[in-house]
Formats: sequence, structure tokens, C-alpha cells
Amino acid sequence: MAHADPDTQADVEQEPVDDEFEAKVGLSYTLAKVKQDTTARLGMYIVGAVIFLAAFVTIDSNISTLTFGRIDNFVFAENVLGNHPERHPPAAEAETTLPPFFADGGVLSHPLGTDIYGRDYFTRLIYGSQVSVTVGIVATGIGLIGGTIVGAVSGYYGGWIDDVFMRTVEILYSIPALVLVIVFTVFVSGGRPDIQYAVIGVGIAFIPVFARLIRSRVLSVREMDYIEAARASGVRDRNIILRHVIPNSFAPVLVLATLQIGVTILIVAGLSFLGYGAQPPTADWGQMLSSARGFMLPSPWLSIWPGLAILVTIMGFNLLGDGLQDALDPRIKD
Amino acid sequence: MTDEPILTVENLKTQFFTEQGVVRAVDGISFDVYPGEIVGLVGESGAGKSVATSSVMRLVDNPGEIVGGEITYKNKTLVGFERAGDELVPRDEMLTNEEMRTQVRGNEIAIIFQDPMESLNPVYTIGHQLKEFILLNRELDKKAAREEAITMLREVGIPEPEERFDDYPHEFSGGMRQRVLIAMALACQPELIIADEPTTALDVTVEGQILELVKELQEEYGTSFLWVTHDMGVVAEICDRVNVMYLGEIVEQATVDELFYETQHPYTNALLNSIPRPDQTIEELVPIKGVMPEAINPPSGCRFHTRCPDAREVCTEIEPTYSEITTYDGWPHNASCLKHEDVGYDVSEPIENEARKGTEGTEVVQ
Amino acid sequence: MGILRYTVYRLIQAVPVLFGLSVITFLLANSMPGDPVSIMLAETESDPELVAALEAQYGLDRPLHERYVNYMIGLAQGDLGYSLYYNEPVLTKVAERLPVTIMLVASSFVFAIATAIPLGVIAAKNRNQPSDHASRIVALIGVSTPSFWIGLMLIIIFAYQLGLLPSSGMVYPWHSPDDYRFIDSYLGIGSTQVGGITLPWLEGLYYETARHLILPTLALGTLHMATIMRIERSSMIESLHADYVQLARAYGVSERKIMRKHAFRVSQLPIVTIIGLNLTTALGGAVLIEEVFAINGMGRLIITAIQNLDYQLVLGTTLFFGVVFIIGVIITDISYAYIDPRVSYEEDS
Repeated sequence: MAHADPDTQADVEQEPVDDEFEAKVGLSYTLAKVKQDTTARLGMYIVGAVIFLAAFVTIDSNISTLTFGRIDNFVFAENVLGNHPERHPPAAEAETTLPPFFADGGVLSHPLGTDIYGRDYFTRLIYGSQVSVTVGIVATGIGLIGGTIVGAVSGYYGGWIDDVFMRTVEILYSIPALVLVIVFTVFVSGGRPDIQYAVIGVGIAFIPVFARLIRSRVLSVREMDYIEAARASGVRDRNIILRHVIPNSFAPVLVLATLQIGVTILIVAGLSFLGYGAQPPTADWGQMLSSARGFMLPSPWLSIWPGLAILVTIMGFNLLGDGLQDALDPRIKD
Repeated sequence: MTDEPILTVENLKTQFFTEQGVVRAVDGISFDVYPGEIVGLVGESGAGKSVATSSVMRLVDNPGEIVGGEITYKNKTLVGFERAGDELVPRDEMLTNEEMRTQVRGNEIAIIFQDPMESLNPVYTIGHQLKEFILLNRELDKKAAREEAITMLREVGIPEPEERFDDYPHEFSGGMRQRVLIAMALACQPELIIADEPTTALDVTVEGQILELVKELQEEYGTSFLWVTHDMGVVAEICDRVNVMYLGEIVEQATVDELFYETQHPYTNALLNSIPRPDQTIEELVPIKGVMPEAINPPSGCRFHTRCPDAREVCTEIEPTYSEITTYDGWPHNASCLKHEDVGYDVSEPIENEARKGTEGTEVVQ
Repeated sequence: MGILRYTVYRLIQAVPVLFGLSVITFLLANSMPGDPVSIMLAETESDPELVAALEAQYGLDRPLHERYVNYMIGLAQGDLGYSLYYNEPVLTKVAERLPVTIMLVASSFVFAIATAIPLGVIAAKNRNQPSDHASRIVALIGVSTPSFWIGLMLIIIFAYQLGLLPSSGMVYPWHSPDDYRFIDSYLGIGSTQVGGITLPWLEGLYYETARHLILPTLALGTLHMATIMRIERSSMIESLHADYVQLARAYGVSERKIMRKHAFRVSQLPIVTIIGLNLTTALGGAVLIEEVFAINGMGRLIITAIQNLDYQLVLGTTLFFGVVFIIGVIITDISYAYIDPRVSYEEDS
């Protein structure tokens, strides 16, 4: 029949890999291969830098919490640290914004300028990395774990379980992910959306993506001789999936997960922009773009930097994912 | 076979400029094809056979390049260089790419590829494809081209060609598609057909039928063939003369009978010993030990010395010259082996190599 | 099986999916927090009798499964429900907003396809040369950039800094020019001339609509352009290396014809699939783009519905999106089967 399934896209890219090189797949081997590839290396550096920043920000904010205790509205931190990036703006405070340092009136102490509450934009941008990286990894993790379970069960047992699963996936695919997640977020949060609901929503929305991959792996591995042999010698089904199928899917899952982190960040940025993700005063790139919308004429830079940050981060994950794919699947290599 | 050769290849060199270095895929080969003759080009995978044929068609893909030698087809210079200062530049009479396309490809030299499943465009009917090539290479109008296509399909043994004309390639079996490709080649009425392992992808019974068909059609049309294969059985079946290639070089050249009964090169011998025969058991088969080295860094001296059962010290140092050993019935028998040269082979010490160690090298079983 | 039977077969196959879709959207929409009636009454009045009367009027006092059955009966009669927020039938709102979104999505796909296919072909032809690298970088940036941010940047550059194109206030060609008579900047509508010549197709509302559509089209189309270009490039590279292309070369077919015919047609097969599949992404993306450019399409309708907890409107619009996508997939499959002779309409997958 015609290539009906919406999974064609994923399947085209994620065909089962040859057994031959499975043996070679390992973290050190992968890293060595990635290092050889210029674009993958660039991706690795970008991703590494963003993760480093996020980790730094997490430690930084934890240390200030430990040092100063739980700070209400960051008033104390504000006094000690000056402009805390998440300082809750006092009502009706409208300082004039500072432009970036290279523009007229900019100062070097605020290299990317300040926002409408006078907060240093560079610091907020750095703090935004924490949200993006956490969101990307957690949501992809939810999708990965959920998808592995669903895909393994569905692919291994087949029959009506598989049928129900496949139809459900088709239904979920038919509703735009953004709309689905917004409705979910509103429902779960009881009308007060926040970033954690968005993350869970996106994670659940991505379960089918991973489930399809794992399912197709299971289906192809299930027919292989050594699985027959394992079953014939009385190894239990659960063990077959755990010991054979899942480790064998390491390479394509790694590639898909890397690319999916980028997609997650993209979707959550859109959610925050619409007001269904991170809420003020959290420093989040999508949320910052949303806040900056009213000031695009007088202060365009407020809209420029967060978008660039999203672009570079997602590009890093895309480059790394493409590089991993090349490194792990020798057939695509020229 | 007393006329002038229609195709002459002299000292052809084709190299691939890769990041890892220069791959000398074809390194100075010479052979010729006479009218009405089937000439074999034999060797293992990677010996450079296909590069040699694409060089003749001037269809070497990037990063490959023909860097030297002469190819003459009838009176046309397909490849020709002259020295200009320090480098070789193409001579004036060498055909341009456009002339190659309009004057040679298809109408003078046609080609049949190895894999019939991949050689036909899946989205056009076979009739459409046949007709397109006929219109391009012959002075026929559309109606005549269609009739010619149907005639050729019938010639190659496609049943009900009028109906099959409008079928798509996926509706044909592998053997039938290869017949279509043969029809395609013959329909353009070329004088030379290059057959690049055309039966390798087919099963043995179909292979036999195709070989029979080619022999019949060859007699009927008098077309010359350059038949590329790795299968000595096919060579024995179909070829008049044979060139044996190893690692970018031709190591032996003779008529079929000479090559089979008066073998002069150890590699040819090894190839012949590695084909199964009814009078041998599987244990008696002698596979060629080891794998062919990379053309990027060929062994010193004789290129075959790493796998040659007769290799001696001298073989690692001196490169054998390709020269005429005997003549038979007016045809030369050429080979390049130090055994036939006066360079002290007989007094040299035998060397340890893969062939002698009897190690578990990758056996050549194709 | 003929193409007609195949179509019917696919439609029958879609029935359980459509049923499941209706159940899921129904449950989702009904699980939204808040009480529609009290929202409708703006939480100012709390007369229990009025609430009860309204609940009875809209059937909100019935159990969930009964409401579902009623909804389905209505649906079968072409009734998508009633929007409490707009105080209008959902179908009326959809009919009003849908052409806008179709216009936006269609123009961005036209833009995406018209740019991506030539660029992909050029990149494949000049593989590993500067033009290839350039187009790959463009594609990479295209898939990595949030579409709404592209929209914001376009507004900053073309609307605010250069003042060339409008940033909002979409003009709809199917409206009467009179609808816009109070808007100063549109006083010239109906008299558009280029170099003294009045071009009918550039005239009036159409011209204004085109001007308004440029930025949203670029913003929404970039992602699709990048995706299609990537696929086109790799697919074209693959077919340029295929044996049948080598064979065409060996038979003296010109490079030009190889690019335009032999390699090109096969390489379009995955593009058809990608365009079909990108439909949902495009509809989702339209939500953001409509928000950025203040275009009153389906996307904004659905956001308004969610914001105001107008569950029937959420239900109707989501269901509508879902059905459009399912039909889109079927059309994709059928056209795929039509252009690829290898696909036969067999019933097994």
C-alpha cells in the first residue's frame, strides 16, 4: 500500500542499523567519530557551552539560596547582588531601557542592554539557558522513557495491543502538537499554566515519536535468528527486550533524542511566547520574547537576543544530531 | 578479426583524488577490441575494471580523473594528451564532452550495467525509456522508434512486447529487465557494447539464458563487446580474448584458450583454481589467500607479491614489465611476471606471505 | 485495486481514527477547568436558577457519555457546537476564520516549494561546493529558528525600521473595500497603479492582501523551505548517483535533461510525503504566526477559545484540525500512489 503512515519521516531516517557495526558502537567510539566531523564538532561545542552555562546558573542560584536563604522576591539578593536576573519588578516601575554597549547610550557593564525593568539583559539571557536545557532534556527524557516502554510492549506483543497503540498514535499525530500541549497545559494546571506543565505536555506529546522508533526496532530484531535462539532456549520475553532489543537501539535512539531536544526547545519557546510556558519573572527565552513584544519599536534588541540564543542552541543540537547520525551510520557516509 | 581494432586503450591512467590521498584505480592499462569480438576484462572487485570502462565512456565521477594515456575509438580520440611544459594537457583532437555525448555515447558505444533492478528509471515505462534512447541515438521519428523498440524487445525474447511496452520496470523480473537493457543497447546500433558484469546479479539459470542470448545476438549483429566480469566461468563461455586485471594493472592478456591452458601469470592461475569444477571436491578448491591491497598504497615491486604463492624476494623489489611471452595463432600472449624476466627470480629466496602462511585471510569466493 | 477503490478503502480505514479523534478531543475539551456557564455570566451573577437553566439549555447537566452522544448526533447533522464566548455557532466561526488560515498556509507552502526545490537541486548538483554549503547553512538555520521569532525580526526590519510592509491589520480580499474605509492607510484602495498603468490583478484589496501576506508567509514558510530543501538535496543526490542516471548519461542524454527529467522526477517522491506530513506542523505554526501578525485565522480562534475556556469552540476547532490532517494524509497517499508507479494499492501494509 501507499506510504500512509506519518512515521515514514522518522523511519526513513531511522532504519535499523547493520549488526556488523553494532559491535563498534560505544561511547568512546562515537565520540571519536564525532570529533572527526567538523560540523558535529561545532555542534558538540555549542551544546557543551549551553549545558555548561545552564549548570553554572543552577549552581549560582543554589549558592545564593543557600547563602541567603529562600528569598522572597529576591529583595535580599537584589540588595547584595545588585540586579538579580529574576528580580520581581516592583509595580509600575518603568525605568528607561539601556541599549547594547555598541549602540548610542549603551554601557559596557550591561553589554546587551537592560530590559524595561532595568534588569541586565545579558544575565537574563544566561539564566535563560537553564530553563531551555532543563526543558529540552526533561521533556525528551519523558518522551524517551515513555516511548521505550510503549514501543517495546507494542512491537513485541503485536496483536490488538499494537493495533490500539498505532491508532492512538495516528490520532495524536493528527492534532497539531502545539494545540494539543496548550490544551493539556491548561487542563493540568487548572488554568494557571507554567513551565513544568508545558514540559510534561511536550514530553507526553513526544512519546509516539520514540515509541515508533523502538517499535520498528523491536519488529526487525524480533525476527532475527539470535532472538529465536534466545526464545528457544527459554529466555523470558522481558529479558529479551531488555538485553537484546534496547541495547541494540542505542545508536538511532541517541540520534533521535539529540534532534528531539532541539524540537522540544523550539516548541516550548513557542508555548512560553504564547503565555503557556514559563511565567514572569522567570528568565526564559520564549517568555523574554513575549515580554519584549510591546517594545519592538523603541527597543528592538530585546527581541533580538533571546531569539538568537534559541537559534544557536537548537542549531547546536541539530548539528550534533546530524553528526551523530553520520558517525553512527556508516552507510550514509560518502 | 583481421581489421583494425575499433577500440584501442594505451597506458590509460585514472586516479581518484581523495582526502586520504591519490587512489590509482587504473594505472597504465592497455588493451584493444577488434570488430565482432568479445573481449573479457577479468578481476576481483576493486581491481579497477569498472573505472576502466567508465574511462572509455569518459564518465568517471568526481573526484576521479583520467590523468594519462590514449583511448582511440575508430578514428576518434576519446582520450589523448600532449606535454605542455611540465604537465599533460588534452590534445586538440580529443573530443569535447559535448562531442562525446552526441557522437559516441549510445550511438557508437553503449553500456549494460551490473544491476538490472537499478538500471531502469522506476517512474517511466520501459517503452518510454527505450524510445527516448532510440530517438536520441538514431535518425528515426517517434512512430518508427516505437516500432524499433518493440522489435528489439521481441528480439531479446520479451513475450508480448506490444503489451509490455507500457509496463513499468517493477513489473519485470531481474532477468527480463536485463533483456530490456540489452534491447536498449542493441536498439541504438552501437558498434561496441560495454557489459559491466551484466549477469552477476542474476541467478545461474537466468545467467545462462542471457549468455546464450548475447552470443546469438552478437553473431546476428556483429557488435563487439567489452565484457567485464570476475567470473572465469563466464569468460570461458563467452569471450574470445581476455585481459586479467589486478590492482589497476593488466597482468595477463591472451586468447581464451591460451589463457586457460597456457596460463603465464600466478594470479590468473589462482583465479582459475578458485572456480569450482565438477571433478573437484570443495576441499580441493584453492581460494586466493588474503585480500587485495588498497590501490591508494600499492605494494612495491610486483603488486601481487603479497598474495602470490610463487613470490620471491626479488618480487618485492622489481616491478615486472608487461611484455609478450608467446604468440598463438597471430595473437600475442602478454603477461607481467618476473618468472619470465631475466632478473634473478630463480636464485631469489621465496618469501613468507599470506598465500604461503595459509592464514585465514578473507577468501575470494565470488 | 483501482485508484477509486483505494480511496474508498482508505476513507473506510480512517473511520476508527476519526472516531478515536472525536473521543479524545471531546474528553480533552471537557476536562478543561472552569465552568463555562459562570464564565459566560462573567462570575458576577450567581443566581443558581439562572445557572441551572443555562446548564440545561446547553445540556451541561447531562452525564459525559450522553453529552458525547448528543454532540456526535449534532456533528452528523453538520453542527459543530455552539461557542459561548462568541455567542455564535462554531461552524460560523470556522467558516469565517478558515479561509484566512488556508490563505496563509497555502501562500507559505507556495513560497517554500518554489524556493526549496530549485535550491535543493542546485545544492545537489554543486555538491560540496560553495553554493551547496551556503544552501545547507540556510537550511540548518531555517530548521533551527522559531518561526515566530522570524516573524518578529521581519516586523522590526520591514515594518518598523524600513517602513515598507505592514506588521498587522491583514486585509481580506473577500471582504468589501468599504469595510476598510475608516482606515487611513487604505484610502488608496481600489486605485493601485504601477508606473501609471493600472494592473487589474494588483488592484485594490488583492494588492493590499498581498502586501500583508508577505511577512507572515516568509515567517511561516522558512521552516518548510528548509525541511523541503534538505530532503530535496539528499533525494536529488541519491538519484543523481543512481544507476539509471548513469545509464542515461552513457546513452548521451544531456546533463540538462538528466537534471530536469531523469533524476528530478524520482527525487520528488519523498517531497510529496513531506509536504503532506508538514501540514500539521504548518497548522500549529500558523497559531504562532497569526498571533505575531494579529491575523484572525483558525490559530487565533483556537487560542481565544482556550483562553476563554470556551470548550465547545476548542472541541470544534481541534476536531476540525484533526479531520483536515487525516484527509490530508489520505490525499498525500493517493497522490503518492499516482506519481509513483511502484506503489500498488494493496490492502496490506
